[in-house]
Amino acid sequence: MSHRIWGAAESDRCLHSAPTRGAVCHFLVLTLVLASAATLLPLEAQAHAVCGNRVFPPTLTMDDPGFNDELSLPTIQYAPIPASGGNPSGSITSYGFEWDKSIIPNAGIAINDGYIVQHGAGQNVKGWDNLTLTLKGQLPCIESHEFLVSVGVSHEFGGTGTRRLATAGVIDTTGSTAPTLYVGKGLGDLPIDFLRPLAVTGEFSYQFSDSPSISPNQWNYALSLQYSMPYMQQHVKALDIPEFFGHLIPIVEFAYSSPIHGSPTGTISPGIFYEAESWQLGAEAVIPANSATRQGQGTGFIVQFHLFLDDIFPNSLGKPLFNF
Amino acid sequence: MRHIFSSCTLLPALILGTPAALAHAFLDRAQPAVGSAVHQSPAEVRIWFTEAVEAAFSTIAVLDAQGHHVEDGKAKVDPSDPHLLDVGLKALGPGKYKVVWKVISVDTHRTEGDFTFTVGP
Repeated sequence: MSHRIWGAAESDRCLHSAPTRGAVCHFLVLTLVLASAATLLPLEAQAHAVCGNRVFPPTLTMDDPGFNDELSLPTIQYAPIPASGGNPSGSITSYGFEWDKSIIPNAGIAINDGYIVQHGAGQNVKGWDNLTLTLKGQLPCIESHEFLVSVGVSHEFGGTGTRRLATAGVIDTTGSTAPTLYVGKGLGDLPIDFLRPLAVTGEFSYQFSDSPSISPNQWNYALSLQYSMPYMQQHVKALDIPEFFGHLIPIVEFAYSSPIHGSPTGTISPGIFYEAESWQLGAEAVIPANSATRQGQGTGFIVQFHLFLDDIFPNSLGKPLFNF
Repeated sequence: MRHIFSSCTLLPALILGTPAALAHAFLDRAQPAVGSAVHQSPAEVRIWFTEAVEAAFSTIAVLDAQGHHVEDGKAKVDPSDPHLLDVGLKALGPGKYKVVWKVISVDTHRTEGDFTFTVGP
């Protein structure tokens, strides 16, 4: 979903701090409004991010354009931290998860969090990231053009992570809300056969900070370009290759953030996915895209094991709470 | 919020304990093969899916270049292999043909897709 790098939660502060209660209320109101709107849409009961011939796989540094019952566990991300300002070099690793639960077909809520460990770079700290919730709904797709759109809103609950991480500047001290548009387009309607397995996905959001004076508002935008060997084998030409290669999806993801005041940062993440019937394993290098990003992190990696709960538990955990 | 983490801790155990995963039915292989060229008119189109499919809700249509149906009868699930759906064909002349399949797997997930094959002169 929002695929933040870090994540966590401390229940006591979440439940007892007045600012957080206010944020929870705002998020619940938004949730109810969007859930009401979503129930009016003619959503089709279909799991996975499937649109016609196209299956959009879950991506690692950005969100995919659909909504399904899924679980990412774990998502492990590592990045070296370069020496700067008199501090020695170090590293930061996060062990994250995301649980997507459908409330109605193709719409629901996602929970992100993770445990963060930072070594060196002037401080050894570890703990939970802030909790992030996302409400997301998938609109009816245009199957003949493999065109899929979803809308959503994410909220990071500031103050729910480990206090020491926030004090050290590893996680945000304040929360934020980000209305988000997700888009996916398969290129299966192209006339050139070897280009038809290509697909492009995008994620665009504007992040409203709970305290803009502390953490500025920012634009977030991400793009993926992927080449699906399953699509080639199933819809274009059955190549005489070992079955293993028919499950691979080479991909590159671009993810950027542009604060209203400050330099944009971003990463370029080339990698590869192995897509099985009910799970996916993905791995990508995470390369800083500009000098502003390189000041904070070096080239690292991200690995994710992803489960399609709608396939594994089609009659229980993997189906919408309200199915119609 | 702590109960959320408790639930997530239980999930891997639940998954490992599940007897069999039922998934979407995607095309596994076909005869004639996806994107292939054949020298003679095939008697039927056979599609093997990655999951068993429901006979009552699963179809195959085969269209010629003008969009005319060339299948002979309705698609049927093989009695001895619920993953296999096939449909008979009329005698096909040289040309390109489009196979359009729509299936519902036994766990009620709907999938559909298409591919082409060519009959040579």
